[in-house]
Amino acid sequence: MTTIVGIRTKEGVVLGSDRRASKGFFIGSKITQKITKIDDTLAVAIAGQLSDADYMVKLVKAERNLIELRRGFPVTVKESARLIANQAYTGLKNYQPYFVELLVGGVDQEGGHIFVADMSGAITSEEFASSGSGSPIAYGVLESIYHKDMTNEQAKEIATKAVAAAMERDPGSGNGIDILTIPKLSLVVKERRR
Amino acid sequence: MADIGSSGVSNSRYPYYYGPEGRLLLVDSALEAVGRGSTTVGIKTSTFALISSHIKPTKPLVEPSEKIFAIDGHVGATGSGYIGDILQLIDEMRIAAQKYRFTYDSPIDIKSLARQLSSYLHDFTIYAVRPQAASIIIAGLDPAGIQLYQVDPSGTYFSGSGFAIGQYSDTAIDTIQKEYTEDITIAQAVQLSDRAIEKALGEKPLVERGIVTAKDATFNKMVAAS
Repeated sequence: MTTIVGIRTKEGVVLGSDRRASKGFFIGSKITQKITKIDDTLAVAIAGQLSDADYMVKLVKAERNLIELRRGFPVTVKESARLIANQAYTGLKNYQPYFVELLVGGVDQEGGHIFVADMSGAITSEEFASSGSGSPIAYGVLESIYHKDMTNEQAKEIATKAVAAAMERDPGSGNGIDILTIPKLSLVVKERRR
Repeated sequence: MADIGSSGVSNSRYPYYYGPEGRLLLVDSALEAVGRGSTTVGIKTSTFALISSHIKPTKPLVEPSEKIFAIDGHVGATGSGYIGDILQLIDEMRIAAQKYRFTYDSPIDIKSLARQLSSYLHDFTIYAVRPQAASIIIAGLDPAGIQLYQVDPSGTYFSGSGFAIGQYSDTAIDTIQKEYTEDITIAQAVQLSDRAIEKALGEKPLVERGIVTAKDATFNKMVAAS
């Protein structure tokens, strides 16, 4: 169930999601937060088992903090996606897979990035991506109106349209839209702790 | 016969068990090693905690080791003793801090952190292994306020307002005890810690400092002034 989308722009990244959590044919929650911020530069959009995803997000948070403390400079988006994928792969090979498909969106020195990490442990870098039961519908919208050189504001609009379209026809998605925008580092006056 | 266990390592058949006087030789040796480490002090009031450590000069082309370490956003630490042991203990604390966040979804309190470190160190005192030759001073902020702890190789930990470890730490702590007041300012505390280390070493030393204040709630290294 779920519809989540992620779009990379020239200004950073945009993540979008619906708010429905399904329990079979029952709507378990209408206000689920499927986009989790890891810090000011990284966020994850969650499709699949929420508990599994939460666990992975917490692990990545801890690992990122440790790595940054140890080496003295921040962890890139790609490295963070790899941390998640490694965990997923370990789970798969131990016959206890994490039932998740995550969109990892964030910004680093190189700019914005969207990565798709699934339960197989695979990661792919994408310009835009969608996941969850509503993703075929969302992709229809994204494929037809996505273009490079978008601003975050434009991407926000497209992400909203994509999730809204999925919510119209996918029974697993609905109850409103959440959007998160992460501007690239040069666009924000960065107040780093430590 | 009279000298068995009374002084040297070589006389003791089992150096990792209690000696005749009820002392643990290995732990004593570790403390002895700490006593030869760089002079390191900590000062606490209700509004801030400052840690400061002497940087021993190295060869011109070699950068000296880092001595002040961020453990998590709200806590930092320094140490005296074998630098390799200090680094190991610092990493243990960083892992403990992240594990606490993972388990409880909140930053670790400083007493728990000191206890975890104490427990780690204590393990080395009950087996036939080498105890870590490092004492650690921890400065941090938690819901109970500003905290300052010292943890020794034996696993002993103290909470307090002023600590000194390493070479000539007796002289350093004397200086701090004489001039410490609860309403001391940060600038005064910096001066006092400098003076304590200076008096201990008898020369103007190069130091590295770290501070956590109740106001901004984060631990930061202080930019070198002297």
